[in-house]
Amino acid sequence: MYLYDDIDRAMLEDRAAEFRAQSQRRLAGEITEEQFKPLRLMNGLYLQLHAYMLRIAIPYGTLDPAQLRKLAHVARTYDRGYGHFTTRTNLQLHWIKLRDAPTILEELAEVGLHAIQTSGNCIRNLTADPHAGAAADEVDDPRIWAEVIRQWSTFHPEFSFLPRKFKIAVTGAPTDRAAIRIYDVGLRLKRDADGALAFEVRVGGGLGRLPHLGPVVNPDLPARHLLSYLQAILRVYNRHGRRDNIHKARIKVLVASLGAEEFARQVEEEWNKTDKAAVDIPDTELARIRGMFQPGGFETRPARSAAFEAARAADPRLARFARRNLTAHKIPGYALVAVSLKEPGETPGDATSEQMELVADLAERYSLNEARVTYEQNLLLPHVKLDDIPAVFAALDGAGLATPNIGLVSDIIACPGLDYCALANTRSINIAQAIARRFEDPATAERVGELKIKISGCINACGHHHVGHIGILGVDKKGEEFYQLTLGGADGDDAALGQVLGPALPSERVSGAVDQIVEAYLAERHDGERFIDTFRRTGLTPFKEAVYADADQTR
Amino acid sequence: MPTLIKRADGRFFAAEDVFVRLADEEAMPPAGGVIVSLSRFHAEGERLLADGRPVGVAVAPSEEVESLAYDLPRIALVVLEFAKFRDGRPYSSARILRERFGYAGEIRAVGDVLLEQAAFMVRCGFDTFVPADGTGAQAWESAAHRYRYVYQSAADGRPPAYAERVLA
Amino acid sequence: MKALTANRLYDGEAVFWKSGAWVERFADAELFGAEETAEAAQSSAAAEITRVVDPYLIDVIEADGGPAPLSYRERLRALGPTNKPGHGKQAAGGADVARLAHAHGSARSTGRVNLIRRK
Repeated sequence: MYLYDDIDRAMLEDRAAEFRAQSQRRLAGEITEEQFKPLRLMNGLYLQLHAYMLRIAIPYGTLDPAQLRKLAHVARTYDRGYGHFTTRTNLQLHWIKLRDAPTILEELAEVGLHAIQTSGNCIRNLTADPHAGAAADEVDDPRIWAEVIRQWSTFHPEFSFLPRKFKIAVTGAPTDRAAIRIYDVGLRLKRDADGALAFEVRVGGGLGRLPHLGPVVNPDLPARHLLSYLQAILRVYNRHGRRDNIHKARIKVLVASLGAEEFARQVEEEWNKTDKAAVDIPDTELARIRGMFQPGGFETRPARSAAFEAARAADPRLARFARRNLTAHKIPGYALVAVSLKEPGETPGDATSEQMELVADLAERYSLNEARVTYEQNLLLPHVKLDDIPAVFAALDGAGLATPNIGLVSDIIACPGLDYCALANTRSINIAQAIARRFEDPATAERVGELKIKISGCINACGHHHVGHIGILGVDKKGEEFYQLTLGGADGDDAALGQVLGPALPSERVSGAVDQIVEAYLAERHDGERFIDTFRRTGLTPFKEAVYADADQTR
Repeated sequence: MPTLIKRADGRFFAAEDVFVRLADEEAMPPAGGVIVSLSRFHAEGERLLADGRPVGVAVAPSEEVESLAYDLPRIALVVLEFAKFRDGRPYSSARILRERFGYAGEIRAVGDVLLEQAAFMVRCGFDTFVPADGTGAQAWESAAHRYRYVYQSAADGRPPAYAERVLA
Repeated sequence: MKALTANRLYDGEAVFWKSGAWVERFADAELFGAEETAEAAQSSAAAEITRVVDPYLIDVIEADGGPAPLSYRERLRALGPTNKPGHGKQAAGGADVARLAHAHGSARSTGRVNLIRRK
């Protein structure tokens, strides 16, 4: 993984020093809140219901043990001993004081961590395929390019006051594991007709009030021109994106109003006038970054591990964990091990400092010093020898991190919601917990199979509800918490926006409604059909009947 | 004479403004530098330039600097207006003037111009500033030099980090 | 009835106006019966940019023997997150917290129109 050199570290130190000076000016009243707010947002510091929230960047979801330990330390020292991993693979701390923030940034800088541009109308944290570097179908490691973009976009003087936030996701395989269709720019690595590395470039995806799947604007961008092309996209957006209405200011609105073809033409025109050599990454620098992502330390192992097979034959709990939480690795004898942050009854995506430290230890001992954060709010140990799985399982199990529910009904994505967030209409954590408890029996959850539930406490859709197999959106109905359910959303290659099931339900009806939906699915499903498959075959009807049959129940 | 902040060779100092900003209907003074709106420049620019006086053109955030391309060699000053500090369009305009058209005249930042954006403005090619927050040249000089390195090339010619890495 | 609330600048704590000072417990908040006094307090508070951020008025009702914010959101601010009973103001426990936590009649506040906008 990328290691910060003196220049990268200097950036973080200078940024921390700058923010310290800015905070001091604010605390002394030399600048107003209106002037200070964009500055603190560009350092990921929000003011929420109970305190400041700090959003620490985890670029492309990759961490080393020192970084994880530092996050644990910061959470313990300056917060309440836990953090929340988000759908943008960042870490949020909910109880931060402004006067501690400059010191926190200095501490984070020591291990190459920061909160740069995790908010504000600028280019935000880069996300990538969580299986990067381990997936057999990968054309190129997307994190190489995510790091290239990260550096180029950091403190970009032209693009720090965009009409609105800007999110870029990169995937490196034909299968999209980074949900590239729901971002302002989605990039998919591929080989062009001559076998050279290229990007399929999508622009104008996004959720929120006006959900949109991003259309392809350039199917074959030579990879070496990534930055100059991005500059053209950002410049067209910076100059022509709407600034009159905050709800119409994302690039997706510009792309939709111009049409993808005209937008692509304008980008192309701007790009053709660009001195590309001044912007594009030189080969030497690309090679330097690429070199840091070369996999190293893998042993030659047989594809099957006798020790692992024996252990899982003897322990049904380990067997279930292996079925649900392991992913095949491109290197024989290795696997990716998911660390579930979705223990039923707990807050989805939360981890205590102790849990972070445990994962750091496991990453160091068993995963070639690497851990990942997924946008589904779980963690990952990407390079674990099959031989070591029993030991890793035992350690995770002891810390409540081994729930065998990856991709299942209790592996719920939920934003922090009204319990923390100033923007929310309703709570979401309690809804997630109620649903997860209903399906906490692992055998039941496995029987239901793949079912991705995503919950957002407001239309800003931080919980990605539009692309949940079951999406749940909190709405405000005269002082009470109501929830609108959608079905049939999906966020990968088969991305789709969910369809509204019916009128919003009161809080106490939601987990029961999910139960009814699951029952309807189990009744309808053909062999081998996941929930989403059955839904695509039957449409809303059986589910609508199941939930709304007794109209009185919605009151 | 009103003062503004001027940048030269990495230093910042207070300087006098030798230009007068004219409203669209205002009569031209007999001599001296004038700043007119883009639309007035399009209407009367030739005459103004023929007068032999320094001419400045003020460009609003929604206006495109490309329309000045032909006349840039003869324009002494381009004024880019920040309607609100959050409206980042002038940053693009400045870079286009410097990097695409090679404009060598003065680019001035006016409007909601705040100290905390000094570094961005300098990097995009601005060289004079009329701050709205009462800050002075010394503060601007410090603000413009907060970062030892930059990651990307821009209008100020600072070498991006990757160039520094090769030298190291 | 109204109360005046804000977040304290240096630590973001939700605080309530009481006779020119800021208190941490909703139970100690000054309650305004008249529009003019409420708005006068808000003006004073808004000028104190080094003490608090964005002071705003909230609706307060009588609920089960004492004042409570009308808005469910403001009740959460006055108590703390429901998923962590040991965090926030509610951790202090006591009669006021218990009453507020179980008070009936919450609804959307009519006193606060503009939510904080994230840029």
